[in-house]
Amino acid sequence: MTATSYQPGEIRGLIQIDALKCKGCDACKQFCPTHAIEGASGAPHKIDEERCLSCGQCLINCPFGAIHETQSALDTVLTKLQDPNTEVVGILAPAVRVAIGEAFNLPKGQLLTNKLYGAMHQAGFKIFDCNFAADLTIMEEGSEFIHRLHANVRQEPDAGKLPQFTSCCPGWVRFLETEYPSLLPHLSTAKSPQQMAGTVAKTYGAKVYEMAPEKIFTVAVMPCTSKKLEASRPEFKSAWRFHQQHGSDAAPYADVDAVLTTREMAELLKRLDIHLPDVAEYKGDSLFSQYTGAGTIFGNTGGVMEAAVRTAHKVLTGEELAKLELAPVRGLEGVKEAELTIHDQQLKQDVQLKVAVVHDMGRNIRPLLEQVMAGTSPYHFIEVMNCAGGCVNGGGQPINGSGTSWVAQL
Amino acid sequence: MTDKYQFTEDGFLLSRRRFMAVGAAILALLALPVGWLGNRIAKRNEYIKARADALYMDDAIAKYRVSHANPAIARYYSEFGGEPLGHLSHELLHTHFVDRTKLKS
Repeated sequence: MTATSYQPGEIRGLIQIDALKCKGCDACKQFCPTHAIEGASGAPHKIDEERCLSCGQCLINCPFGAIHETQSALDTVLTKLQDPNTEVVGILAPAVRVAIGEAFNLPKGQLLTNKLYGAMHQAGFKIFDCNFAADLTIMEEGSEFIHRLHANVRQEPDAGKLPQFTSCCPGWVRFLETEYPSLLPHLSTAKSPQQMAGTVAKTYGAKVYEMAPEKIFTVAVMPCTSKKLEASRPEFKSAWRFHQQHGSDAAPYADVDAVLTTREMAELLKRLDIHLPDVAEYKGDSLFSQYTGAGTIFGNTGGVMEAAVRTAHKVLTGEELAKLELAPVRGLEGVKEAELTIHDQQLKQDVQLKVAVVHDMGRNIRPLLEQVMAGTSPYHFIEVMNCAGGCVNGGGQPINGSGTSWVAQL
Repeated sequence: MTDKYQFTEDGFLLSRRRFMAVGAAILALLALPVGWLGNRIAKRNEYIKARADALYMDDAIAKYRVSHANPAIARYYSEFGGEPLGHLSHELLHTHFVDRTKLKS
């Protein structure tokens, strides 16, 4: 019985350093949010897997390409795509569509939603845009926030904790679970969009696709390595439990069966000889490809907060925001904040809302958490993303140009 | 016996072990040129900005720009999910968290 930070079944040690390639240059340590990388300068480094969040920031920033992932579902997914008895559903995260072009030598910052739909359709995926699930997240997490806010204003005894933290980022969630467990009641109980998408695909989606849920194979395509760890959490078998309660006796299955990073999706398309820039655009094949602008900005730091504020404003005041862009939460400042005065129809009074947005978590989050612990936090709602810039700079994104390739160019 | 054969370490600045460690640290420094980190972060931020702008553009050109206006979401709740924070939402769309300081293998 030794202490561990993993539940049974969870992927551990996802990110590893190759001791033969490591020069001991310490660059990775600058990007690790939890100081999980050990080893003296000049000596090969090693990752302490108990502290590691699997965020992959060390991996994309290693100048020697010495860091890799120990798990890839690429071959499994290729096999499933060939299986006529399986419906493979591709759950596509927002940040993938603006980065995968780089893996096909397109300039950075190309928005390729419909081309990527086309390429995935050609490969045999059904399209489930994770932005649809992001919209769903806003409905749930936003409602939860309003619920907590009202309960606190009315000083109800069992009111949920404020500030509420967002719960979309698996690195951040694991960080709080390992280092600040006393603050877990502040986390929104809403699942991340990835996990909502997987669950919906195998419940409501089973009706939409007219398929038995156990024949649906969900593949999340993510800018993130930590999403692999999240998908492996043992509690995420909600669809299976749901069908079990309704009389199914199928063997247990996960809500999200496999996770591919942006890099692995690019590799998959290349293996299938699908050249993304030449693919015809495709609009999607079900309601699951309908998403809003609020859903798509989830990939940016500040995006979840901006999307939540748009919907909270409508719910609280009954009116749409005159200006949807929430400029103070955009950009790369480490901690951003915004204040809004909202006339709450239900409470019949003005409410002063103060929100904060944190990214590059390792450098910026601790002072805010100390405030919350001390009971002096001025905020009602805090968005946290582990990676600098948010998911667009996630550990699963293409490394070309933005990472180790500069060494290869020398 | 005289002390003629007794070994004493040279009066060099560093012990052998220390010398190796310093040497390795110097090699590590050589591997990573001065200013590397600053350049790295500047270049990273260029990529972040380009990708982020593309997502903000995706928002700006979207037919619907607020989650509650997504007709597919309305369909999900009316045909299946009920309402936000409802019974089915609780069962399917919400979760619990784990105090990882209390886990044992």
